[in-house]
Amino acid sequence: MDDGNRRRIVLPRQPHAELAAVPLVDLLGERLGFSHDTLAEIKLAVVEACLNALEYGQGAVEVEVVAFPEEQPARLEITVTDHGGGFDARAVPPPHLESKLHAARKRGWGIELMRHLMDEVEVNSTPGLTRVRLMRKRKEA
Amino acid sequence: MRVETFELKLAHRDGRLAVLEVGGYINNEAGEAIAETAGTLLAEGHQVLLLDLSHTRIINSIGISLLLEVLERIMEVGGTLAFCALSPSIAKTFQIMGLAQYTQIYPDRAAALAALSPPL
Repeated sequence: MDDGNRRRIVLPRQPHAELAAVPLVDLLGERLGFSHDTLAEIKLAVVEACLNALEYGQGAVEVEVVAFPEEQPARLEITVTDHGGGFDARAVPPPHLESKLHAARKRGWGIELMRHLMDEVEVNSTPGLTRVRLMRKRKEA
Repeated sequence: MRVETFELKLAHRDGRLAVLEVGGYINNEAGEAIAETAGTLLAEGHQVLLLDLSHTRIINSIGISLLLEVLERIMEVGGTLAFCALSPSIAKTFQIMGLAQYTQIYPDRAAALAALSPPL
């Protein structure tokens, strides 16, 4: 299934599994000419998507990284798929630091970070199947 | 250093100030280690804590939430949480969260020490 511009991995159920797709982002992102700093932002967003899928999903978590070098501008897409109960991303309130500082639960930053670090974030979720698609365009010189 | 390796080192302490070098991946385990060490330093009277992130490769939101616990505890005693040497992606993450409003952020350790150390 893998071709030069497409890589897929099933995350292992082991410590640091959320980092398993990072090398694929590096590989295809460098091929597209993304800067080191842009790739660092993409990787941070991918780690967040994988963390959510590993925490709330069931069974296999799959990550597909696809490069589109012929598009103008070239872009990188990452899709993280899990098979958990699903959630309504629109119902997730944006976190505010001031209220988090006084709250027992300080988590809940993942989707907010993804939205700011990527050009597009699309969540399609139904019970049993959640797909989070992250897209970042290459900045043209 | 492998990306998932985590290193924490007490690099300096002087009066109210303590400097922790944080390397590798700040996740839940790393965040808990930082929070535990920060708690010890606070109990010892170090109310100005500088985290030097020059060797931090990546951070996740669980690690960040644990840093918020550290910030909350420092604010409760009227102390200061400071960071230096952030990579551009971590700096952007902190900016998205609004952390600069509650912490001090410096480009490098020399600048941080100049600002945070008590005058001689």
